[in-house]
Amino acid sequence: MGNFGNKWNKFVEIFLLQNGYVKVLEGLQNTLLIAVCGLIVGILIGTVIATVRVIPKYKRLPRILNAVCSFYVGLFRGTPMVVQLLVFYYVLLPLLGVKMTGVQVSIMVFGLNSGAYISEIMRSGIQSVDPGQLEAGRAVGLSFSTSMLEIVIPQAVKNILPTLGNEFIALIKETSVVSFVGAADLYVAFSFIGSNSYEFMVPYLVMAAIYIVLVLFISLLVAVMERSLKKSDRRN
Amino acid sequence: MIDVIDLKKKFGSTEVLKGINVTIEKGDIVVVIGPSGSGKSTFLRCLNCMEDPTGGSIIFNGVDIADMSVDINIHRRHMGMVFQHFNLFNNKTVIENIMLAPVHVRCQEMKAARRKRIFGSGKSSSGEAPLPTRAQIRAGAREEALALLRRIGLEDKADVYPSTLSGGQKQRVAIVRSLAMNPDVILFDEPTSALDPEMVGEVLDLMKSLAKEGMTMVIVTHEMGFAREVANRVLFMDGGTILESAPPEEFFTSPKHARTREFLSKVL
Repeated sequence: MGNFGNKWNKFVEIFLLQNGYVKVLEGLQNTLLIAVCGLIVGILIGTVIATVRVIPKYKRLPRILNAVCSFYVGLFRGTPMVVQLLVFYYVLLPLLGVKMTGVQVSIMVFGLNSGAYISEIMRSGIQSVDPGQLEAGRAVGLSFSTSMLEIVIPQAVKNILPTLGNEFIALIKETSVVSFVGAADLYVAFSFIGSNSYEFMVPYLVMAAIYIVLVLFISLLVAVMERSLKKSDRRN
Repeated sequence: MIDVIDLKKKFGSTEVLKGINVTIEKGDIVVVIGPSGSGKSTFLRCLNCMEDPTGGSIIFNGVDIADMSVDINIHRRHMGMVFQHFNLFNNKTVIENIMLAPVHVRCQEMKAARRKRIFGSGKSSSGEAPLPTRAQIRAGAREEALALLRRIGLEDKADVYPSTLSGGQKQRVAIVRSLAMNPDVILFDEPTSALDPEMVGEVLDLMKSLAKEGMTMVIVTHEMGFAREVANRVLFMDGGTILESAPPEEFFTSPKHARTREFLSKVL
């Protein structure tokens, strides 16, 4: 253990004295920023796509939109996140002449990617809501979109909350690839500490511990939200 | 009020309605009966285009609402509908269930009026009454909703969620929810079929009191006693057509059609 103590001391030295903690905090901030913003963008995109996919398809426009959405979901589910990041950062953005930082690109790609997954989660959520709910909304003269927003989607979200929590956890963990486009996340921070001390064991173990704590915290948050939503549904 | 002309409905290749012709006048209470699969629910659901008709027309207050280019939402606001399974909004409290549509529609009208004042003709608007705010609209709708709940004796349930109500209470709330829009007609799709027997009475009583007030109603039901007592016309449907249409006394005592007699002998 003397060996481990030595390694630990080296880690602490760099973490505290050589501003390692600043890097870690910055990495943590970026990791959370990318995951949270990605999730929000993903939920927005996913809800829109899921709604398009449940619209009755008598007319031409819904059919075209549906095809576009199917293509989008297929594309983003069919390629790895890293590939999407690389393509956006090194191919698409230079082609379009747009300048974005690594973090901004990551948020965009995480949002687009999770949007594809969330659309399927949301679709199953919407389909789990009794069709009579939508019918009742339409019967009092509300439009399709108002009925969806006011009645169906809130109930769908409640049904899929645990799965959305899962998606958020997956996003948090997947942020470990954003260093490919130069965004400084937790991995970058701990690699910095590791390469400065020529010692990777402790930094990577600490990094793993931080991820676990983050994920446990999110699981707790989802459980609390779930309980409070259930409470509003069954009083007495 | 409603003129149904040669109404047809196909699901895929099955023809469920084979040309229905009915006229429903203001104040009519029309009860539709018939064996299951006869198309009576489909007929009712076509009246407010919950199912889009595949042929014919439905003239409601002078407009053919079977025409797909008509904005059906505007016309549905004048046609209430009550479902077999109540379909109260599970994510809203009882009073929110009743307020949702009135508040939404009035806010939309208020916004339209505001747009008109801002972008409309350059006439001075000093003489016009101020537009209601969203809060005022909500408060007004809440008062009306409370009055409706008082009517059915469920005022104390205003702020609970539908999941805590009994079937009969749910259906009565569903009926006043459709009343909140001051509809010209209410369509009832087997309103008592999903209820425990002891709760059927309270729902039928509410429907009778609506009938006394002169509400126009179209009711699909299996409650023959209710049909006989309340209806002023009974339609018998089988195989996607109306076989017989008569006042209840005549219908139940001397049915003309053999199929009607056969059906009545089974259910009475």
